[in-house]
Amino acid sequence: MKKDIDIKSVAKLAAIKLTDADEKKFEKDLNIILEHVDALSKMNIEDEEINIHPLGEKLNLREDVSSEFLTHDEAMSNSPETEDGHFVVPPSLD
Amino acid sequence: MNIANLSISEISNLYKNKELKPSEVYKEVFTNASLSESIIHAHLKLFQDEATEASKLSDERYAKGNPLSDIDGIPIAIKDNINLKNHETTCSSKMLSNYVSPYDATVITKLRNNGVVFTGKTNLDEFAMGSSTENSAFGPTKNPWNPEHVPGGSSGGSAAVVSVGSAIASLGSDTGGSIRQPASFCGVVGFKPTYGTVSRYGLVAFASSLDQIGPITNSVEDAKILYNSIKGHDPLDATSIKESTVEIPTDKNAKIGVIKELMEEGISDESKKEVEKTIKLLEENGNKVVEVSLPLTKMALSIYYLIAPAECSANLSRFDGVRYGIREAGATSYEMMENTRAEGFGEEVKKRILLGTYALSAGYYDAYYGQALKARSAITKDFENIFKEVDYLISPTTPTPAFKFGEKTENPLEMYMSDLCTIPANLAGIPAISIPTGLSKEDMPLSIQLMSPARTDSSLLEFSETIEKLLGFNQRTLLLEDMK
Repeated sequence: MKKDIDIKSVAKLAAIKLTDADEKKFEKDLNIILEHVDALSKMNIEDEEINIHPLGEKLNLREDVSSEFLTHDEAMSNSPETEDGHFVVPPSLD
Repeated sequence: MNIANLSISEISNLYKNKELKPSEVYKEVFTNASLSESIIHAHLKLFQDEATEASKLSDERYAKGNPLSDIDGIPIAIKDNINLKNHETTCSSKMLSNYVSPYDATVITKLRNNGVVFTGKTNLDEFAMGSSTENSAFGPTKNPWNPEHVPGGSSGGSAAVVSVGSAIASLGSDTGGSIRQPASFCGVVGFKPTYGTVSRYGLVAFASSLDQIGPITNSVEDAKILYNSIKGHDPLDATSIKESTVEIPTDKNAKIGVIKELMEEGISDESKKEVEKTIKLLEENGNKVVEVSLPLTKMALSIYYLIAPAECSANLSRFDGVRYGIREAGATSYEMMENTRAEGFGEEVKKRILLGTYALSAGYYDAYYGQALKARSAITKDFENIFKEVDYLISPTTPTPAFKFGEKTENPLEMYMSDLCTIPANLAGIPAISIPTGLSKEDMPLSIQLMSPARTDSSLLEFSETIEKLLGFNQRTLLLEDMK
């Protein structure tokens, strides 16, 4: 299964800007890890089920009703930039 | 009398008998912190003024004979990835260096309601990713037994503060061994409960299907007291389970399996000897001990290093410079995010996000993440089958005692191997505990790990108390004794 990783495209997907030195280092480390985990591809486990909860439990969702929690100001209190109760970000396009 | 070495129940009884006041114990733990912090750097923040004031309210409650619980006035430190209202929660990351939590985690609410006054926030590997605290953006924690050695990780700060007595107990989080491995390296008890028994609400998520909060303490009894104070179903955590306790034998009828694969190559002789010593004591106690085979434990590391990074890449996508954390400028929103994440995350976190992003990307999802989830189900079934034959499983907690700084930073797999024995319990969602057993040739702590079926946490703790008594090992680091 193992294929060499295209670090530039993965970094783009992960939205992390990498330097050339970073790319080299991460490519090497990730290939070491992928080489190791490749052992899984040889396991005969096609019929195994996939559980999202480790104990196979259903997720316990709350009633869809509103309740008191954080105020608007509290919820935004950690944002680097806000204006009139909105988050401010740079433009999406150049 | 060294207060910091007393158990929670001993302190609680002294409070009730009016022989000791909470404010006196807080004074003692802050004195210990002031002596030890310059050497071990286990805390990121100490709440000395706030806690000293609040402990006086606890004094008053005991004076009136009206404490809120048996842990009222017990000084507890919190790993800095658990939210405590109006305090920073940095996760030892530059990304969250300015983050102040507007709410309490459920475990914090529960402890507050029981009268606990928190002593501070403890150091960790950034976002709980690591096994040595060397990945903290704010500098590593040192092992109180020998500062040339790592305290383990990721909850290295939480283990070191209990070991050195700058808190009576602490909370950590365990995704692949992050409570048990540092507890083992620092000579204290670390307990990872069954997945879902303790709410994760307010714990900054690393790998949601593996993360679990648990106690780090001086004794198994303390771990039991703290666990009972924080457990319980929480509607704010959808993965939290409705309580259903399963009981298994805790006396000499308890049957123990030794995991063959965790007593083989890759495990040091010193670590194996501690298991053998414990087996002998159990047999003398009348318990039956048999060797069992769990061949898939050999695959656990591979399964973990796909599932944990995959979940981490999704969870940490929230750190985008918009809602919280630092922001680095960029001409567009995407550029701002790229720059923010490049600046805010450290190397190990970036590595795991990249690995997880790759494993979840189109064309690789089924082969990597899907396959890992199926392998996880297979290993879980193996555990269920073994637990039809035995009540508990025993192994070393760690392949070696605490290693030295820089020893395992070159090759990522070297560091990951230190979680070899602890990861399987996270994959299967079962409870597991690390119990100190003795000292190595270099006078570093050694331990054993005990695991049991899901939902048998209370039995596991009860049986662990028996093992702790059989071992009779309760030596603490002498770091402060030498200084006082």
